[in-house]
Amino acid sequence: MTMALMLAWTTSSPAAPAHDANALIASLGRPAPARTSFAEARFSSVLDKPLVSSGELAWLGQDKLERRVDAPRKETATIADDKVTQTREGKSPRSFSLSRAPQLKVLLDSFVALLGGDASRLAEAFTVQLNRDGEHWSLALTPTDAKVAKQISRIVVDGLGNEPRCMRMEEGDGDVAIDLLGPLAAKMPAEPTRDGLVALCAGTAP
Amino acid sequence: MRFAPRAALLAAWLVCLGLLYVLITHTLVVGTDLRSFMPAPTTPDQKLLMDQVGEGPGSRLLLVAIDGVPASQLASLSHGLAASLRKQPAYPQVVNGDFDLAALDNRFLFYRYLLSPTLDTTAMDAPFLSDQLQQRLDDMASPAASMLKSLLPRDPTLELLKLAERWTPAKSPQVKDGVWFSSKGEALLLVQTQAAGFDPEAQEAAINGIRSAFAALPGSQGAHLLLSGPGYFSVVVNAQTRHEADVIGRISTIGFIVLLLVAYRSVTSLLFGALPVATGGLAGIAVMALCFREVHGITLAFGFTLLGVAQEYPIRLLSHRRAGETALASVRGLWPLLMTAIASACIAYLAFYASGVGGLQQLAVFTITGLLAAGLATRYLLPHLLPERARDIATTPGLARLRTFFDELPRPRWLPVPIALAAAAMLYFAPGSFWENNLAALTPLPTDMLMTDARLRGELGAPDVRYLLVLQAHDADGVLALSERIEPDIDRLLAGKALDSVELPSRYLPSAATQKARQAKLPDTQALQKMLASALQDTPFKKDLFAPFVADVAAARSAPVLTPERFASSPLGQRLSAMLVNRGDHWVGLATLSGVHDAAAFAPLAAKTGGAVRLLDLKQASESLVAEYRTRILKALAVATLLLIATIAFALRSFRRAWHVLAPMTLATFMVLAVERVAGIPLSLFHLVSLILAGGLGLHYALFFERDTGDPDEQRRTLHATIVCVLSALLVFGMLAWSSIPVLRAIGLTVSLGVAFHFCISILMAPHASKE
Repeated sequence: MTMALMLAWTTSSPAAPAHDANALIASLGRPAPARTSFAEARFSSVLDKPLVSSGELAWLGQDKLERRVDAPRKETATIADDKVTQTREGKSPRSFSLSRAPQLKVLLDSFVALLGGDASRLAEAFTVQLNRDGEHWSLALTPTDAKVAKQISRIVVDGLGNEPRCMRMEEGDGDVAIDLLGPLAAKMPAEPTRDGLVALCAGTAP
Repeated sequence: MRFAPRAALLAAWLVCLGLLYVLITHTLVVGTDLRSFMPAPTTPDQKLLMDQVGEGPGSRLLLVAIDGVPASQLASLSHGLAASLRKQPAYPQVVNGDFDLAALDNRFLFYRYLLSPTLDTTAMDAPFLSDQLQQRLDDMASPAASMLKSLLPRDPTLELLKLAERWTPAKSPQVKDGVWFSSKGEALLLVQTQAAGFDPEAQEAAINGIRSAFAALPGSQGAHLLLSGPGYFSVVVNAQTRHEADVIGRISTIGFIVLLLVAYRSVTSLLFGALPVATGGLAGIAVMALCFREVHGITLAFGFTLLGVAQEYPIRLLSHRRAGETALASVRGLWPLLMTAIASACIAYLAFYASGVGGLQQLAVFTITGLLAAGLATRYLLPHLLPERARDIATTPGLARLRTFFDELPRPRWLPVPIALAAAAMLYFAPGSFWENNLAALTPLPTDMLMTDARLRGELGAPDVRYLLVLQAHDADGVLALSERIEPDIDRLLAGKALDSVELPSRYLPSAATQKARQAKLPDTQALQKMLASALQDTPFKKDLFAPFVADVAAARSAPVLTPERFASSPLGQRLSAMLVNRGDHWVGLATLSGVHDAAAFAPLAAKTGGAVRLLDLKQASESLVAEYRTRILKALAVATLLLIATIAFALRSFRRAWHVLAPMTLATFMVLAVERVAGIPLSLFHLVSLILAGGLGLHYALFFERDTGDPDEQRRTLHATIVCVLSALLVFGMLAWSSIPVLRAIGLTVSLGVAFHFCISILMAPHASKE
């Protein structure tokens, strides 16, 4: 697995200069609200097989994000004002502080910065590294805060042209969540594997 | 007496004082508990009040706010401070809004099934487990995944989160970066101290601990730490009182020295004149140190003030010396009068002893011993030290003219009538309430400090300091059971907005019966494993993931129920311990309340439980305490007054002469009362105490003015002595009257006014000058 990941990286061309990354990020900017469908596969040490879910991610402007899950069960999570509120069918909403879920804080930071085309905000929270392979690109975001990095070691965003296609969140304990975005979301295999998804994102899948 | 024996006597006297000093330094223990100056409680509610004032959970709470740096840095400072304080046993509870799963000690983690109410409404069966696992699966697909996944193997039903929710204060401030923030953008913390709230010394140690923990945090430079709460106030009051008493003491000492130098133009007289008071002070402390286990710091400070009266004895001796007369002869002439004055002052101070308040009793022992020692030293030691020849004070330039001036003042015999009428009218028309019943009015806190406290308390939802819900049962478990029983009633009160929130003891620990009932609902290991296996069938969870859960359920099923004593070894248990009080034959649970809007709404609850649950109004209890206390002091004063009349009548061998001494005293006392009341000052206990002190001083003036010697020189000496005494008293107490501390101000104002009235009225009513 790790070998495959490394291969995926080594086949890419060497890191592009910073201004290139800034130009790319600027080109990703959308006006709010911006919505995209997603399909997520979570590979975790507590699970025998990956957990797949799908729905829609929406940036509602400023630091407001909505993650709506349609399958396997409906749930809406809203991030606003440093608070996460989860609403499930038939359950009373529950909310918790954003700081209790560093994963989400990182997601918010990266997502909002990317959709806002805001390279400087991205640079505030992450060390940014861009790799290009023709039209395909890959942004590796490493949290600068050591405490956050212990929980979320890296986020990798893959894209084609000015369209992000994948978001891969690598957690400190080895768990990985891979989100296929936009049109790619429809291509989530019934029984995904980590390598398969990585290849799909990099555009190297057969 | 020639030089050598005089030097020997002086040396012997100084050695005695030195020995007393050594004795004192070896035996004196100075206490700081402010409660020893509060009235002795009589009813159970009052007793509870006195305990709560110092040791209740509310009084041990410190409110902490951090500001001065950007919010993200404030949050990390808050985290850092909380983490550092939680390691110290001096702070049983530190809350700052962060998610504190460590609140339930690891050793008690498996008890969560007995502590959480989950099993009250459901069984731990296959459908329940299946539903829970399905929910956890949804969680894993949700943003909460990374937060929850470490809990899953041990706690798939998230019992810990339910407990954390239950233990989180109902009304809490907004959370940013994981910690509480006020609406003004300060990071907020609540720290419970081990130290009692009214023990300023222990509180100071606790507060210094917080400050140094804060200073040790990286990035704390530039940030500002703001503290509030009863414990902090007691430290501030203590420091402020000490500081002001020091400053005032220093200034008035200097003034006093200058005054004596001007009056007697002799350094030797000044130095020798100080010896009797020093003797009185040291003897007083020594006796007090021997009689009491611990001497209160306030007793020492006030005691020296009250002992200032004793300075009159050497002043009288110095002023009344005639040219050519030995000091011994002068003192012999003065002694009968001086003895009457000392005896009557001692009788007045006996009233303090009768008050039954520990601090005032100490004060009585101290002053009575001090006055006697100073008086005896003036009579039997001082005359032998003074130079044989002295300047006759009667020849002081201007004194004769002053005496003539006083003598020529009109003094109609009917004078007492208008004075009495004026006093009565002023008392009758005075605004506001006559008595100050509020104990808190005696605490000298700057208003902005109180406003800060109210603001932080409001933001933190910290408990009300006025009300407590008292739950009474025969043992601790009974209190917990009672607390569980009234939970529905309390919920109704909360829903009806009678109060904002409540913290019941059962919130932290259910009663043994409830724990046993929950225990009985736990399946055995075999059954649990079977149910778990079937629930796991359709999930992607690893099959052996929940082994720690199975182990915990087994442990919870067979463990003895968690008692408050065992629980007390954890921080949360400490919190509970503070709420459960053993009061001899029964136990009391104290539930703190916040935002009580309708105190009367608790009455049905009290009726329903037969008084086992009742709302304790600390304000009302303290007011009744003060009122009862006052009644006792007034009774003691009445007895002291009768004794005083008897003593003076006996000493002067004449009721008519006694009348000439006592009438001006009484009138002056009522004038002080009247003036203070007209100024809108409600009278506190300290005003009463000061009236006694002023009365003691006034008695001296009246006694000496009443003395009809027929000798104009002696009259001039009397005037001189009295003016020196009045000026020195005005100097000391006039300074106190400017103090920012209500207690010191009450004493200063009352005594200054008293001295002025006593002097004027005694001189105007002095019999020898009246044209008979």
